[in-house]
Amino acid sequence: MAALKIKNVSKKYGQFTALKNINIEIEEGDFVGLLGVNGAGKTSLISSISGINSFIGKISVMGYDVLSQVIKAKKNLGVVPQELAFDPFLTVYQTLKFQSGLYDAKNNKAWLDEIIQRMHLEEKINSTTRSLSGGMKRRLMMAQALVHKPPVIILDEPTAGVDVEIRKSLWDFIIELHKNGHTILLTTHYLEEVEKLCNNIIMIDKGIIIAKSPKNDLIKKASELASTLQIETLNGKFSDNLKHLLINEEGNVFTLKLENNNQLFSILEILKKDDICLESININRPNLEDIFLRYLHRT
Amino acid sequence: MQPFIQLIKKEVYRFMSIWIQTILGPVTSAILYQLIFGHQLSKLSTGIPGVSYATFLIPGLVMMQILLNAFGNGSSSLIQSKYTGNIIYILMAPISPFAIYFAYLISSIIRGVIVGVAVFIGIAWFGVGLPKVWWAILYFMIIGSSITAGLGLIAGIISDKFDQLSGFQSFIIVPLIYLAGIFFNPYSFSGVWKFIAMLDPFLYIVDGFRYGFIAHANSNIEYATILVLVSAILVNATGYWLIKAGVKIKH
Repeated sequence: MAALKIKNVSKKYGQFTALKNINIEIEEGDFVGLLGVNGAGKTSLISSISGINSFIGKISVMGYDVLSQVIKAKKNLGVVPQELAFDPFLTVYQTLKFQSGLYDAKNNKAWLDEIIQRMHLEEKINSTTRSLSGGMKRRLMMAQALVHKPPVIILDEPTAGVDVEIRKSLWDFIIELHKNGHTILLTTHYLEEVEKLCNNIIMIDKGIIIAKSPKNDLIKKASELASTLQIETLNGKFSDNLKHLLINEEGNVFTLKLENNNQLFSILEILKKDDICLESININRPNLEDIFLRYLHRT
Repeated sequence: MQPFIQLIKKEVYRFMSIWIQTILGPVTSAILYQLIFGHQLSKLSTGIPGVSYATFLIPGLVMMQILLNAFGNGSSSLIQSKYTGNIIYILMAPISPFAIYFAYLISSIIRGVIVGVAVFIGIAWFGVGLPKVWWAILYFMIIGSSITAGLGLIAGIISDKFDQLSGFQSFIIVPLIYLAGIFFNPYSFSGVWKFIAMLDPFLYIVDGFRYGFIAHANSNIEYATILVLVSAILVNATGYWLIKAGVKIKH
């Protein structure tokens, strides 16, 4: 059964079309990265799934239609919204207790204690939410989405503003949730996050799905793209014999197309022969970001 | 049912956690009103045989604070939730619009009633007898406060900014409540002024509530009972429709 099924979904805000005939099917246990630039339609899609947007089309969560079986659909869904949202009157623990009550999640103290610990919020359980830093609020929002152990979890930029060390531990926790069978849809601007965590990738631009593919296929495609070699010279001088490989030139920094790694030897030989002094040298391998940009520019 | 109760509990916790502002503030205001008006106008005729000005004023002041606080609860809670963004958690939760609306409504009525009881304890010793018609007190307190509670929710839903909400309260709710016969008997007016006063729906709430204490109503009590009920249904049907449609709440 598809954990999340989106069929012919469109959404308009006045004259602006945010989503155009979106069709997505995410299988149970899948981990999908949803990529798109700001305003591409990611949050509109998530808002439609979570029932805070009206839309045309059909969406179901774990087989429950989000419009006609709204309560059942929502019970199966946990969403971390993109915007920071908190109740200033409640403490961290009260927030999670209240959230549990909203989802009718009873006797979940052990689970609450675990997610508090995994979100590194133990020292803040009795602090009011307004006293938390941005990163802590983000972690609390993630904990809120998990209080009822939803089978489908949507994370809308969950690690924005979270420091590097804690981001790593959040990744570990997300990986564990996935291993435990949760279906996860993740949007993020950190493409390394998608590369590390997701199985499948969906790219969206201007409200249209521009790519849907297993992550490994996209990475394979990326590896087929040429690498680049970035050379920084001491005095801005560059060899005329390498001009045919030049892609970009910015001050003392020259970017060359590198067909294969062995080509590096001949390039270095030419540089030595032409008496070019090097400040630094760097090989850039194509990654998911290059593929993402390539898809974006194609549309 | 559990999410519905949880939302009520959270809302009650919210206003009880700031009790100095939500409970003590209205009690202090009512005591000041009673001290100033009760003393200065103590010789004023109420137009009701055997009823002193203090006895006339006290139920009015109690009902004034009930109505104002029932309004203030839903309106401030909703607009704060919109500002801080945490309304999204209510909208995403498995709880129906009907349950959301009634949870906010009931918690607003609870605040109105708690404030009413506190204000009554604070000023009753200035000179009002014990309640005489219990059903009238309970009926006008609960149904009456549901009208301003509903108006508060409507104001909280449709207001984009705090000053719009403040305008709603300052230019509509407060004048209607102050002119509803709290400090004076509008039935002692004549001509066009009396006609205008009779158009104020809050007048029937205050008159019916006061009837509970002095067993005398200036208006027809059956008429007031029905009018207040119909007003409560209309206001709250509108509020529920706004929540259900997601006006200014959903994207």
